[in-house]
Amino acid sequence: MPSASDTVTAPGAAPAPPGPAAGRPRLGRVLTIAAVVALAAAVLAFPGLAPNPYILSAGIVVLNYAVLSTSWNFVGGFTGYISLGHGALAGLGGYGTGLLVTKAGLPSLAALVLAMLLVALIAVPIGFAALRVRGASFVIVSIALVLIMLLVFQSWASVTGGSRGLVVPRPFPDLLRPEHHRVFYYLYAGLLALALGVWWLIDRSRFGLGLKAIREDEDKAEALGTPTFAYKLVVFVVSAAFTALSGGLYALWFGDLDPVFQFSILTGSYMVLMALLGGVRNLFGPLVGALVVGTALEFFKGSFGNTPLHLVATGVLLGLVVMFMPDGVLPALRNLFARFDRTRQSSIREVSAAELRDQRLQSTGGKA
Amino acid sequence: MPSGALLFQSVILGLLLGGLYALLAAGLTLYFGIMRVVMIAHSAFLILAAYLAWFTHERLGIDPLLSMVVTVPLFFAAGVLMQRGLLSRLRPMTLTMMSVLLTFAIAVLIEGLLGYAFTGTQRRIQLGYGSASIGLFGARIAVVKLIAFGLAAVALLALYLLMKKTKFGWALRATIQQPDAARLVGIDTEKIAGYGFGLGLATAAIGGTALSLDTTIYPSLHWHWIGPLMAIIVVGGLGSVPGAAAAALLLGLMQSLLQIPMGTTWAQTIFYLALFATLAFRPQGFFGGRLAQRF
Repeated sequence: MPSASDTVTAPGAAPAPPGPAAGRPRLGRVLTIAAVVALAAAVLAFPGLAPNPYILSAGIVVLNYAVLSTSWNFVGGFTGYISLGHGALAGLGGYGTGLLVTKAGLPSLAALVLAMLLVALIAVPIGFAALRVRGASFVIVSIALVLIMLLVFQSWASVTGGSRGLVVPRPFPDLLRPEHHRVFYYLYAGLLALALGVWWLIDRSRFGLGLKAIREDEDKAEALGTPTFAYKLVVFVVSAAFTALSGGLYALWFGDLDPVFQFSILTGSYMVLMALLGGVRNLFGPLVGALVVGTALEFFKGSFGNTPLHLVATGVLLGLVVMFMPDGVLPALRNLFARFDRTRQSSIREVSAAELRDQRLQSTGGKA
Repeated sequence: MPSGALLFQSVILGLLLGGLYALLAAGLTLYFGIMRVVMIAHSAFLILAAYLAWFTHERLGIDPLLSMVVTVPLFFAAGVLMQRGLLSRLRPMTLTMMSVLLTFAIAVLIEGLLGYAFTGTQRRIQLGYGSASIGLFGARIAVVKLIAFGLAAVALLALYLLMKKTKFGWALRATIQQPDAARLVGIDTEKIAGYGFGLGLATAAIGGTALSLDTTIYPSLHWHWIGPLMAIIVVGGLGSVPGAAAAALLLGLMQSLLQIPMGTTWAQTIFYLALFATLAFRPQGFFGGRLAQRF
């Protein structure tokens, strides 16, 4: 699924050879559209095909992961800043929605939207502290965010319910359980479509171009007049808002919040793993990653229950992806297709400017 | 207003805790200096060492301090392997971000394996001298805390001497400061970088043994350590060992003093407050750190 992201992997590559993504007008596009349509049809048809409500609820969990990792990809994919703390934003969205419903007596939908706005507001100072400096500090702040929130929400029991949890009343009390699942399944599907749409729009906009310039070379982007800090902050807030919506929807659907699960460092790492596995530069990368990892997670939970082996599997998988497939499955698949595409076969390997730069740096062993 | 003896005791305990923080933060600073890597797995290795110390005591009946004979060389080797085999193979362009993810994955892996091998049960070493304490101007200080501080202090001193007085230390510092120039004068920077990583991980082995003496341990404990440690290295200015040590002592002291009015849980927030305040107002850290400007 080529997106506008791909064409700018090497901003300084003036005489770049036509890469495999650039020159496959017909077959590639048809395949892409067919795959997207098939995916959308499969997602929409799933509730009708699911044999029992349990499978349907697993489907909701997977869709939740898909929305979360797509939301994460606003920051991770465009700017290259990797956040391990988006789980905290989802948790805040969940608790915000839950508290607004239970303590302030707001209707569910209003609570959801208000919680999203509140989290977006909170994301401004967080982003301000985290994004003023490069890379490492951002990751540190993102992890710290999860740890602080866990601390606060566990200790502040008088408001949050602490470790006893917070029960959120269902928004549609007269629906039966399977119907309830079905409604939320489509709500999640709608949210996913919205997140993908916004990502697609940003991807093709001038704003998106600036963000991708930050990802490729922040110094050069700044020198060319991109307001890097403002751009990073805006996209971080957008990402936080979508994450909070997903978390809030989860609170309304699941109905029971516990700080240990809402502010788990694992949630954030799942988002990263899914987006990275699918490919962060692709519109559908996080979705594909979520389908693979989320389904596997649900399957393992169903067969083995919650064991420490979850952690082991997550760690090993994340390590493998980082070491061997940092660009994700989708680009790897595309390369595979390109190999079978006989019309473009040649004995000369094409190398992009970014790869060349990497090789040069590696051969000198220098620190970038 | 708390009594003078309580305050004095808190100051002593805070400084003792700060010593352990300083040793661990020194390890993190080493990694960052060598490769600009934020090593999330540092505290996971810390807990691993604590578990190994507990294991030696519980199953083999040996003093937990003796476990260091095995763990320190073992962790050194693990550090060298990790740098040579994993981190140095990442793409230089995205090294900072990807190395965080990789060490994060290692941390999660260690936590999972610890939970699998020893279950999630909380463990604590029961020592013959575990409850002994020394009275000092009305303050009571547990002997094990003094031993832990002593270990940390000796290890830090050894690290300092190694860095300042030996040829290896010169090479390591040269590698950190100017890798290209270091290569020009004939230093095998890749090998030195690997050894530097081993050294950093060895501090986790010592710290973990010290920690196990008077702390209840469980597999997910490392998240409670990595937060404060990362706050310390940011406040100290990423990459500055003296800065990290000063920040460690200061924040350890503040945490200990804040425990009197706020209780243990809320006192931890001081680290995160310091982290956010530092990044918002003085991103390069409060104690110098020439590298911090850009990271």
